[in-house]
Amino acid sequence: MEDFIQCSTTVFVLLFGLMMKLRVQLQCKNLHEYLRELSPDLLDRLYNHPATCLAVYRELPSLAKNYVMRMLFLDQPLPKAAVALWVKKDSQKHHDECVSVLSGLRLWHSQQLQGGLQGYILNPVFKDNLRIALLGGGRAWADEGSTLGPDRHARDIESLDRYAMERWEVILHFMVGSPSAAVSQDLAQLLVQAGLMKSETGEAPYITSAGFQFLLLDTASQLWYFTLQYLKTAQSRGMDLVEILSFLFQLSFSTLGRDYSVEGMSESLLTFLQHLREFGLVFQRKRKSRRYYPTRLAITLAAGVTTSPVSSYSKLAPTPGAGDAGFIVVETNYRIYAYTNSELQIALVALFSEMLYRFPNVVVAQVTRESVQQAIANGITAQQIIHFLRTRAHPVILKQTPVLPPTITDQIRLWELERDRLQFTEGVLYNQFLSQADFEVLRDRAQGLGCLVWQDVPRRVMVVTPQGHSEVKRFWKRQKSHT
Amino acid sequence: MCADDEVSLLVIVVDVNPIWWGQQAQREPEFTLSKCLDAVMVVGNSHMAMARTNKLAVIASHCQDSHFLFPSKSWRGADNGGDDASSSGDGKYELLSVANNLIAEEIRNVMSKSEYKGNSTETLLAGSLAKALCSGQEMKSRILVIKAAEDCARQYMNFMNVIFAAQKQNILIDACVLDSDSGLLQQACDITGGLYLKIPQKVALGQYLLWVFLPDLEQRSQLVLPPPAHVDYRAACFCHRNLIEIGYVCSVCLSIFCNFSPICTTCETAFKIQLPQMVKPKKKKLKQPT
Repeated sequence: MEDFIQCSTTVFVLLFGLMMKLRVQLQCKNLHEYLRELSPDLLDRLYNHPATCLAVYRELPSLAKNYVMRMLFLDQPLPKAAVALWVKKDSQKHHDECVSVLSGLRLWHSQQLQGGLQGYILNPVFKDNLRIALLGGGRAWADEGSTLGPDRHARDIESLDRYAMERWEVILHFMVGSPSAAVSQDLAQLLVQAGLMKSETGEAPYITSAGFQFLLLDTASQLWYFTLQYLKTAQSRGMDLVEILSFLFQLSFSTLGRDYSVEGMSESLLTFLQHLREFGLVFQRKRKSRRYYPTRLAITLAAGVTTSPVSSYSKLAPTPGAGDAGFIVVETNYRIYAYTNSELQIALVALFSEMLYRFPNVVVAQVTRESVQQAIANGITAQQIIHFLRTRAHPVILKQTPVLPPTITDQIRLWELERDRLQFTEGVLYNQFLSQADFEVLRDRAQGLGCLVWQDVPRRVMVVTPQGHSEVKRFWKRQKSHT
Repeated sequence: MCADDEVSLLVIVVDVNPIWWGQQAQREPEFTLSKCLDAVMVVGNSHMAMARTNKLAVIASHCQDSHFLFPSKSWRGADNGGDDASSSGDGKYELLSVANNLIAEEIRNVMSKSEYKGNSTETLLAGSLAKALCSGQEMKSRILVIKAAEDCARQYMNFMNVIFAAQKQNILIDACVLDSDSGLLQQACDITGGLYLKIPQKVALGQYLLWVFLPDLEQRSQLVLPPPAHVDYRAACFCHRNLIEIGYVCSVCLSIFCNFSPICTTCETAFKIQLPQMVKPKKKKLKQPT
């Protein structure tokens, strides 16, 4: 008996044979998610620095912060029952949330008390270092520049902001493909590894759909995403993840406008500092300078950690020091007026709209169906376009509610939905059944297992999920051997 | 999660009455003013560590005046590059160590002033509270009072005005009482919605502050905290500042007096006094001689 099951494990294209690239959504984790993925002993080593403990503490939900504060000065474990009594009856689920957050981050663990009860005790490394961050009594985080005397070439905050913006925009320009932007080999490689750009051998890298989505995020989220990607590749470069993360958190707690000395920093940290210099997170006059200034980007790095990037509207200015925070006016006739002459911003607006006119201080563009669908074909979602417009909205339209005209936002979403007429589900095709009865038996079995995706009864064709395929195949073989 | 961009200010008003603290140092040497301020700094640091947008202010309430211990006039704020090299070498978060050093310096200045004008021995708490209210204008704020000495009846009026102003501005007043119960503060906490606690053990001040007074309004709704105390709502009369239960009230300005007086001292209304009816002498009709 021939085997009349035809298995095809390729992606089953449903209707008209259009091959479209699967859209990859940009995944941005926040600090807690990132930390939860690290191994336990790495976490413990990480908590060995007061800055990290303080950064992690700040990201906790507010009830959890209170729990940590209450237990910070206790040396014995507290009974779990006692801790459960801290909340009122109707806030029980907040309590459970806190317990799971604190356990997931290994900030506390269970320990048995003398009477046999289960108790909670704070992670001793975390406890000691948080105490040091709050009260002192430990080692200095870094040498202040005071040992070097006042800086003759001191930079003030404005020039630091300008420098940071320049450097960060060079990276974004490079991604958009402006010819004037040039970055180091290392950085280009990092962009490729992060999936934001792709490079064929011998050619210059070009941007991917993930890269487009990245461009439309606000600065704080971009920074954090970039940093996370950097950390992922850190180990392959031979850098110590713990050292780098601690240094990053230390930077985020530093004071803007103060200089810090590079005394006591290891080789890998110095290399890291040079990379940060290229991203615009610190300023150093020369490579061999013994002091460095953290810029506003470094300090907002920790702030960008809480907001979940795509869906929330961060209150930070989209680009640091870019004059007013917003410069885009959207009108109900689908026109966009962007009051900027920054090449980068214009390129970003051009990603999803058609440029009409360009003046010295303003650029006029029109949002059309073709332009939006082109952007969507490149991997940008309607939500990202709307988020981009809203975070860069001009102060004039910020005063009205809703900020963007609902006709425009609805229409962009509808244009996106127009392309969503096809949905792809992977499956295994079963066809060429010899009899209706065979088909029905197998179909009922698949349905019983809950893995039937689609069936066509007159043609005796059915599609089963890949996970259910092995089970259905086994059933069929058993069936065949009976008859 | 908790990305609050709202600035939240905590003002801590510490009663530094030198007479009470001097006596305290002799009664219980293990709990002195410096230990109290240590606890205050711990709770202040914890508050500032909680969120980037939290701010702190500390006021010392003395017999003669009130001083801002932090922020003091010489401090320009965390955003500017502080060029005082007084940051710690001991691992404390920079912002906190600058604040702590300033507080320590200022309290030394305040307590070492040896000029005493006048004979008052009572803490000018109402004035400190008024200063605290003024500093918390544009932002969400709350006041924590750490009280040592007894209540001063002379400040009753000012105190009540401050309490009502705080209630209007939605500013919470919490009270942590070290020694004797204070009726005024109980009323303040009750009216503004804050917490009142008389501490059983002074040495554990830091722990009480962290457990009870650190959570802000939102978090308090979820936590189980000490229940409100019975409040003594007796008013003080305007003439002697005694607490009275029954008294005379002016019908124009509603000021309270314990003794009757024909003219109200606050609004100067003259009261028409109801004297007993004068009996008109009856004119005896002369009997006509018949």
